[in-house]
Amino acid sequence: MAQSSALPVEQYNFDIVRRFMIVAMIYGVIGMAVGVYIACELAWPFLNFDIPALTFGRLRPVHTSLVIFGFGGSALFATSYYIVQRTCQARLAFPWLAEFTFIGWTGGVALGVLTYMAGFSQGKEYAEFEWPLDLAITVVWVCYILVYVETVRRRSQPHIYVANWFFLAFLLAVALLHIFNNIAVPSALLKSYSVYSGVQDAMIQWWYGHNAVGFFLTAAFLGMMYYFVPKQAGRPVYSYRLSIIHFWALIFLYMWAGGHHLHWTALPDWVSTLSATFSILLLMPSWGGMINGIMTLSGAWDKLRSDPIMLFLITSLSFYGMSTFEGPLMSLKSVNALSHYTDWTIGHVHSGALGWVALVSFGSFYHLMPRLYETRMYSQTLIYVHFWLATIGIVLYITSMWIAGIGQGLMLRSFDDYGNLAYTFIETVEFMHTPYVWRALGGAFFVAGALVMVYNMVMTVRAARIERATLEAKLAAKLAKA
Amino acid sequence: MSDNKLNAAQQSGAVQTTGHAWDGDLQEYNNPLPRWWLWCFYGTVVFSVLYWFIYPSWPVGQTWLKGFGKVDYTIVDKKTNKVEEREQRWNTRALLLADLGEAANNEQRKAMLSKVRAASHDQIVKDPKMMEFVRSVGKGLFGDNCAACHGRGGQGVVGMYPNLSDDDWLWGGSMDKIHETLVQGRKGFMPAFEGVLKPEQLDDVAEYALVLSNEAKPSEASERGKEIFQGQIGGCYYCHGADAKGVPSQGAANLTDKIWTIANVPAQKTLQDKKAVLKTLIANGVNNTRIMPAWKGRLNDDDIKLLAVYVQQLGGAK
Repeated sequence: MAQSSALPVEQYNFDIVRRFMIVAMIYGVIGMAVGVYIACELAWPFLNFDIPALTFGRLRPVHTSLVIFGFGGSALFATSYYIVQRTCQARLAFPWLAEFTFIGWTGGVALGVLTYMAGFSQGKEYAEFEWPLDLAITVVWVCYILVYVETVRRRSQPHIYVANWFFLAFLLAVALLHIFNNIAVPSALLKSYSVYSGVQDAMIQWWYGHNAVGFFLTAAFLGMMYYFVPKQAGRPVYSYRLSIIHFWALIFLYMWAGGHHLHWTALPDWVSTLSATFSILLLMPSWGGMINGIMTLSGAWDKLRSDPIMLFLITSLSFYGMSTFEGPLMSLKSVNALSHYTDWTIGHVHSGALGWVALVSFGSFYHLMPRLYETRMYSQTLIYVHFWLATIGIVLYITSMWIAGIGQGLMLRSFDDYGNLAYTFIETVEFMHTPYVWRALGGAFFVAGALVMVYNMVMTVRAARIERATLEAKLAAKLAKA
Repeated sequence: MSDNKLNAAQQSGAVQTTGHAWDGDLQEYNNPLPRWWLWCFYGTVVFSVLYWFIYPSWPVGQTWLKGFGKVDYTIVDKKTNKVEEREQRWNTRALLLADLGEAANNEQRKAMLSKVRAASHDQIVKDPKMMEFVRSVGKGLFGDNCAACHGRGGQGVVGMYPNLSDDDWLWGGSMDKIHETLVQGRKGFMPAFEGVLKPEQLDDVAEYALVLSNEAKPSEASERGKEIFQGQIGGCYYCHGADAKGVPSQGAANLTDKIWTIANVPAQKTLQDKKAVLKTLIANGVNNTRIMPAWKGRLNDDDIKLLAVYVQQLGGAK
């Protein structure tokens, strides 16, 4: 957006925040829509249309990459660049490098998604990008770290605010995870072979995969929460002490829990035991963040009735609490024997992804919009509409996946009187059809909510433009008189 | 801790902020850790330590702590049929053995198996209890070994794998014949007539085949085809029989019914297309494309016997 000469230059670099936020919404809506489409493919397989690029196998990483990296990643860039400037009272360092992170990140995601559709993939979950893109992302990430750390160094505040600790942990951990998981020997422009083999490759992959959840989708979004919840509530954070303890406990314990993705596989039994217990130990440190966020609102609970943004933020924390309880539960060997390889896992991931990550991002964006565009939101009612569409969508999604997952798990382990399996695999697939339809419907609700938000944002930006133009006209008239 | 107490504490100044402020109004209270949170955290530590005692856990040197959990299982010696009780420290392999042992030592299964072993095919079919057992075992056996080609319900794939859910049996539908098919496998063969017959003769034979199955009305062409079929030029009757009803010992198909296993006649819309697919089949013959593997050696005798009954009841008996 061009700066008007009549208005003062912004104290902070909000231009990049605005653009990351817009890209987050675009990638978010596309990614979620692709999610609904592949959910429909699972319910009605003819939707493949026998076109390879549209098959579930190729669209699934398109969905996950667009929502995790396209939506979640861009939302983190936007909010972290906003938060670091405001809490350090320093303008973003290295503006050209920051500009490069915008082009590199958004372009990298787009290229990655196109290569998946063309059939190029490393076959590592959440790390499907082939090696040239991995290298490019590494460069972008290092630039992100430089910009962020230098901005923190230039702070005019003696203390570093808690949100920034979480972002710094996220920046470091993601670099570490991305580099070590993607070490591979290239054999062609878009083909490579992992240097790890067998169960070690699987272990590295899930060390990465679990910490992508832990640092990308948890720690960083807690950073987001630690700024926007107290800001929106207008109250101090509940406990500084709790924030220190749960921060260090969280980042220490997450690193060791990845093996629980590989229970009942070739992974040695002792590794799987240890990762199960580290997951159990993670429960309370995770809840520390939820408590700190929710208790911040204590004494101002009435805001939940009057402020839809608060509703988004507090609901996201509730879903965060729920899925961080469910996770340790599922990491126990005996529970995992039932849940592993079923849709319970998919439901669990989405209670975190939709309930926590997406809702806290939406709430933060609603908080940002008036501040970035110097106007009011176009419609408060539409924020409520979005909230209810999203919440209904999440509930439909999670419950249908509980039914599909636990149902299939029970069918696969039931025996008849003669000790023979009571159900064949295909019978479990037939059973899951109905929950699959409900899941797709839940996803559709969620996308509809996001579209309402996009409409609300577009109308807000249009109103802001008109207001600005009127203001400039008035100023010009005054100047002309004088 | 109730809200009111908390607010009172904060407002009375008993709980202070840390004194730092960011971005104008961002502050932090210095509330102590919630007691229940702390105790729950200690609880998870205790739980984890207990978990380490039960299951294999920390690595020590070249080995690891084995844990105190135990798995009991039984092993059946294949040669002597002796059942042996064993015990191991908790590990996933022992759990698998325990699962397998449990299935193999199921008393009802053992009792039914010996009953079925002693019974003839006909006796099994007549006994509802034994048939229940056949379906219980057969569902898994068929799913694991047969469904990949013949489909889950035995519906087959036209042109590739015969349909087992109808009462048309290429190699005979009696229990003995199905058993024989399973034990030794089958190999379908029909010579190629391209070069043996002229193109117009191939047309005529195809026309006759359509008349045999009431797809077309008799015509001059079909009459010429009949001569080739029944005569020495074609010699089709050697395998398909003079009545064209097929010869199971040859695996030759019955041509007078509406069931097609290789040329997909029902899928063709026009008579012309139906004739074309038949002509192609007669011209090319069938060689090395219709092979059913032998299951002797891959499945044990009990399984083959049960499977024969299971397959037969998918379709009609003959």
